[in-house]
Amino acid sequence: METLKQDLENRIALYALISRLMIKEVDEDFLKTIESDEAIYALFPNYQNWSKRNDKSMKELIEAYYNVDFANLFLMHLVPYESFYVRDDQMIDSGKGNPVIELYDALDFRVELEKARVVSGDHIGVELEFMYMLCKAQLKALEAGDKEGICELFQIQKGFMRDHLLEWAPMFLINAKKESRTPLYHEGSELTLEFLLSDFEYINAQLDSFCADVA
Amino acid sequence: MTKSMNQDNHFIESRRSFLKGTAYSVAGVTLAAGVFETIVETPAEAEEKTFTATPKSLSFYPPLEQWDSFKELDGDDWKRGGVGRKGVASENNPDGIKVNEFMLVPTVCSNCEAQCGLTAWVEIGEYKRTKNPRDLFVKKYMGNPLHAGSRGRNCAKGYATQTQMYDPDRIPFPLKRAPGSKRGEGKWVRTTWDEAMATIGKKMHDTLKRGDEVSKKMIMYHVGRPNENGFGHRVPHSMGLDGYDSHTNICSAGAREGTIQWVNDDRNSPDWANAKLIFLQSSHAADAGHYFQQSAGYIADARKKGAKLVVMDPRMSNSAGMADLWIPVWPGTEAALYLHLANRILNEKDIHGKDLVNHAFFKNWVNWEQLMKDKEQLALMVSKGYMKQVPQDESYESFIEMLKEIYSPYTKEFVVKECKMEGYGHKLDELFDMFIDAGDRISTFLWRAGTIGHRGGWMNTRSGFFPLALRGAMAGNIGGVGMHHWHVISVNGKGDAATVAGERPPRVDVWNEIAWPPEYPLSTYEMSHIMPHLLLDDEWRAKWKAKGLKHIPEKLAVWIPRMYNPVWINPDGFRWIEALKREDKIELSFNLSPTWSETNWFCDYVLPVGLAGERHDQSSEPTKPARWLSFKNPALRVALEKLGWKPKDPARATLEAHMTAGLGEIWEEVEFWANIMVHYVDPDGSLGVRKFWASKEDPSRAVTIPEWYQAAFDKLPNLRKTAKLKYPNSKYPNYEMMRDMGTWLEEDHVYRPQERPLRKEGNKYIAHGHEYDESEVEKDEYGTLLVHDHVFGGKKPIGVEVDGKIVQGFHTLSGKLEFYSKWFAEWKWPEFAIPIYPRNAKERKEMVQLVTQVHHDFIDPSKNEFALNTVFRLPYNIHTRSVNSKHLMEISQNHNPVWISTADAKRLGIKRGDAIKVTIEDTVSGLESGYFIAMAVPTEATMPGVLACSHHAGRWKLKNAVEIPGFEHKLGVLGLGAPLYDMTMDGKIGTLKPKQGLNEGMQARKDTWQFKEYNKDLDNIWWDGLSGAWQNAVAPSHPDPIAGNHAWHQKVRIEKAGPDDVIGDIYVNYENNFKVYQAWRDKLTRPLAKGDKLRRPVHMKRPAVPLTLKAYSVDITG
Repeated sequence: METLKQDLENRIALYALISRLMIKEVDEDFLKTIESDEAIYALFPNYQNWSKRNDKSMKELIEAYYNVDFANLFLMHLVPYESFYVRDDQMIDSGKGNPVIELYDALDFRVELEKARVVSGDHIGVELEFMYMLCKAQLKALEAGDKEGICELFQIQKGFMRDHLLEWAPMFLINAKKESRTPLYHEGSELTLEFLLSDFEYINAQLDSFCADVA
Repeated sequence: MTKSMNQDNHFIESRRSFLKGTAYSVAGVTLAAGVFETIVETPAEAEEKTFTATPKSLSFYPPLEQWDSFKELDGDDWKRGGVGRKGVASENNPDGIKVNEFMLVPTVCSNCEAQCGLTAWVEIGEYKRTKNPRDLFVKKYMGNPLHAGSRGRNCAKGYATQTQMYDPDRIPFPLKRAPGSKRGEGKWVRTTWDEAMATIGKKMHDTLKRGDEVSKKMIMYHVGRPNENGFGHRVPHSMGLDGYDSHTNICSAGAREGTIQWVNDDRNSPDWANAKLIFLQSSHAADAGHYFQQSAGYIADARKKGAKLVVMDPRMSNSAGMADLWIPVWPGTEAALYLHLANRILNEKDIHGKDLVNHAFFKNWVNWEQLMKDKEQLALMVSKGYMKQVPQDESYESFIEMLKEIYSPYTKEFVVKECKMEGYGHKLDELFDMFIDAGDRISTFLWRAGTIGHRGGWMNTRSGFFPLALRGAMAGNIGGVGMHHWHVISVNGKGDAATVAGERPPRVDVWNEIAWPPEYPLSTYEMSHIMPHLLLDDEWRAKWKAKGLKHIPEKLAVWIPRMYNPVWINPDGFRWIEALKREDKIELSFNLSPTWSETNWFCDYVLPVGLAGERHDQSSEPTKPARWLSFKNPALRVALEKLGWKPKDPARATLEAHMTAGLGEIWEEVEFWANIMVHYVDPDGSLGVRKFWASKEDPSRAVTIPEWYQAAFDKLPNLRKTAKLKYPNSKYPNYEMMRDMGTWLEEDHVYRPQERPLRKEGNKYIAHGHEYDESEVEKDEYGTLLVHDHVFGGKKPIGVEVDGKIVQGFHTLSGKLEFYSKWFAEWKWPEFAIPIYPRNAKERKEMVQLVTQVHHDFIDPSKNEFALNTVFRLPYNIHTRSVNSKHLMEISQNHNPVWISTADAKRLGIKRGDAIKVTIEDTVSGLESGYFIAMAVPTEATMPGVLACSHHAGRWKLKNAVEIPGFEHKLGVLGLGAPLYDMTMDGKIGTLKPKQGLNEGMQARKDTWQFKEYNKDLDNIWWDGLSGAWQNAVAPSHPDPIAGNHAWHQKVRIEKAGPDDVIGDIYVNYENNFKVYQAWRDKLTRPLAKGDKLRRPVHMKRPAVPLTLKAYSVDITG
């Protein structure tokens, strides 16, 4: 159980990290948090060694580089919405009929679009934060000793990843990695892609082992 | 990211261990953005799905029948969760989502020449509830899906129309220079349209009443980008004046000169969508220039079908960046490259051993016979070394052999050297392969850039069309090059039938030397860029007086810029200011202008006229092989009228509607001119002007909009027929249909009209609306059908026999494409009467009129000298017209540095963001003009030796706001786009120095008094506007000795700015600039000379105002 708890805490931290990275521009607090955690910092090797960090202040880097990259990747040149990738007409579906929104609704989640500054709940950052929310719920279930709840949440996570995130996010993330112009977003995109793939394997493994006895 | 980064993948190797053996100490909650409301209890006030948040397709548009009332959810629906959660707003549900009721009023974008369709979405729901007209609001501008050219699409400038409409610094009412103040002092008083019309009308009346020759040249209507087809021409025409000045000679007149020589047409008309090769000189068409939004769409269509895109440009524009081939060419040498293509087409064979020349087209449709018979011209060509001897016979085969010889010196090696393509000469081969592979499906739009940047720029079109003609791509066929007048509809000035006169005003019989000076008989358009120079040049006037031109005006009684800002956009701006300040030279001036401008500052009146959705105009452009037109509507007026409002005076309805709806005292030209003419210029009709503007229905008043456009659109048979069917009970069906649709496609798929049979009924030929008895028609030895010219005497062509058939032919004197321009030879330029370009340094001296003023001969890199490429557009700006748009200003900030190649920058130690001093030097007179300080950006995207800085940035103002006595608010001046400057000028030297960024000026009055709700985001202004410099003022006028256009590019010298220099500084020796204009005029032109009897070839139409033979006639003595 301790291992599972540690795994869940790690997953929560990672989903929080990558969803935050993709939902809004970074700020100094966020960057300091990354840099202060050795394990997370290790996920950004080129960021660590980026020469511009020696020449410029964090504020300058944010204004002149990170924000520019963010705008390119998430607002201007790429389209970070699932519906864009999965619909034949490549329209962003912000309506109620969007299956991702339907899923959120079914689980009583509502996206505060204004706060997220996105036009639809199937934004990459929102979907990642949804995984974060599910992991948090799992941790609560774990603390309450609710194994069924934990496993049900693994099932939901598996379904969400299979039917949604993994259907499109890899394509977006490969594009983002290619189009990025800073180590932060380059490695952030790669990290997200790799983590999603490994997490999907992890979920399946848990369902096969830990949840094997749960109907 | 870099490759090196990709190689550093140690964490990837360990990706499977994100969880194992790791403990992230950061709590997720400190990182997560937290965008979910979890397990919220949101009332799901689900209603029936009346509104679709996501239309089924991107091309969704309300159907036309719903345009008078279309309901749509408010824009913040999505962020508030939609009606599914909030329901529709109502008294019982105040927190619900607002539903707008829109009336879609079609109109046309006025921010560039393309004339893309727009729809103004007027929110009428609130007005219906409150009955307060001030609740009418244009919520957005969208495309017009009915528009055949733009197909519902727009660029940023179209959508930005709304920001211009509700500009916080919009001029709200007519302004008049304060009595007792000098021009440029910035003291203004509020006036009324009626007072302005009375004062101006009287001045015009008194001038016209004199009735002598000079008085007919003393009122000048100076039109910026017209965005309408022909109304402006009618204004001076109806007064019997030769008084029209266009902006064209700073715009595109160079391109037109070469086109006129080939086809006697204004410009070409491409069929992008069906081309196999898009052949672009510069980024024009694809990303910034003429018609780009429409062209870019058609180019994309073509590329989707496999077409190649080639861009020849010293600068890597957006188009070049996505082209199949980018060829950086030294600016102004493009003609050499075109003639190289011609050389290869003539001298090489295809893989089957067949000629590459499309003889079927070239032999039939090019006037080679005329040249082969002209032994004098052939001898001249031999004497110039173009060829060794006159051909033995006059056969087509000998003609082709002659061409092979003439163009054989334009080798790859020559072009590589001339165009400075060292290191990438192989691109010429790639280009040639693409050119040949495309067959006759090559489309181009040779315009701006090379054709207006340079002395001899006109030879770019002259030589550029040559390889296209050789391949048959000039036939106006599918995917090829057609002609402007085949596709454009101009009826905006043709509402004559609605007036008392009932007919067009007669031809004008004077010639205005201020617009058409005798040094430039072949100038394609008015020499407007040297208008102030000519006005102030007493020596020039005296010289021509002595040669017999007794009636050159010494001054203008009234100068009327119309949406024009020549002070800023023309070269040598201080000379303009100097002239405008001279009340003895320009007695009265008023600008019909929606915004403040640098020019307005020096006028006597500023009369606010409407933007795209606030006026009426008919317009049409050659953007595809079809004849479409578009119609601007004043959205608020149309909405008011459709909802039952009626004006007090139907001839002033647009003004009344705008005042009623709270937009301001904003008028439009059509109503303004009709009213001032009828009531003030010629109130009693004694001048013979009134009848052209008074209503036939009610002669006591001016013609109304429905009357005028009913008559104007009646000229179009298909439109007329459809309108009658759709509006059977209407008195003005043409007008009403166009009011409701905003666009019309009169004829589609217009290809090869030159091959259409010449109409013949019985024994009469019918051409251009006239009948000619067969007995009057004579056929010359080349097959051209000629008739007597009743206006100018002599003969004029009406058709041509080709391959045994009598067809309409091209619009030239021969009825064919004119490889040899005989009239051009007769008008003093025989050595340039065929496409030609100097082949060596000696010829560059002899043929100086064809050599760009920034040729590399003149540039010494060791002295830090460069060619400055100034002619390219920023796609989200439009010269002087977008400074009132907060959105366009925001996205264009810092986008106009001086581009310098990285190699040059490194050599000079210049880094990104450095301020540099750019000093302009003239290569004809050797004089320096002064300098501007600008920001350098090293880049690989401009070729070494060539700097690039678009001349579209660097706006300025001298006051942030003006006080209007008796008016409670200050009027802001260009707050969104022009910083505050200090100006000095002493008659010789002018300077401008930035004083304050615009953000500071704007923040001081961010709580604007007008359109406050719309502008509540003004405190978001982050830009200071100080990244550009007014380089146009430093630039002297370079009148091309033949085409007359200003040759924009400049030879410059650069150095790092000094400690006291700041970006935006300019220093101008405008005394020198005056001498530069004189040097270009006197050293390079071939003016009218003793014995000359005509001012200009009569077949070479003077644009705008039709003239009599008397006007064309001259007797140069002395």
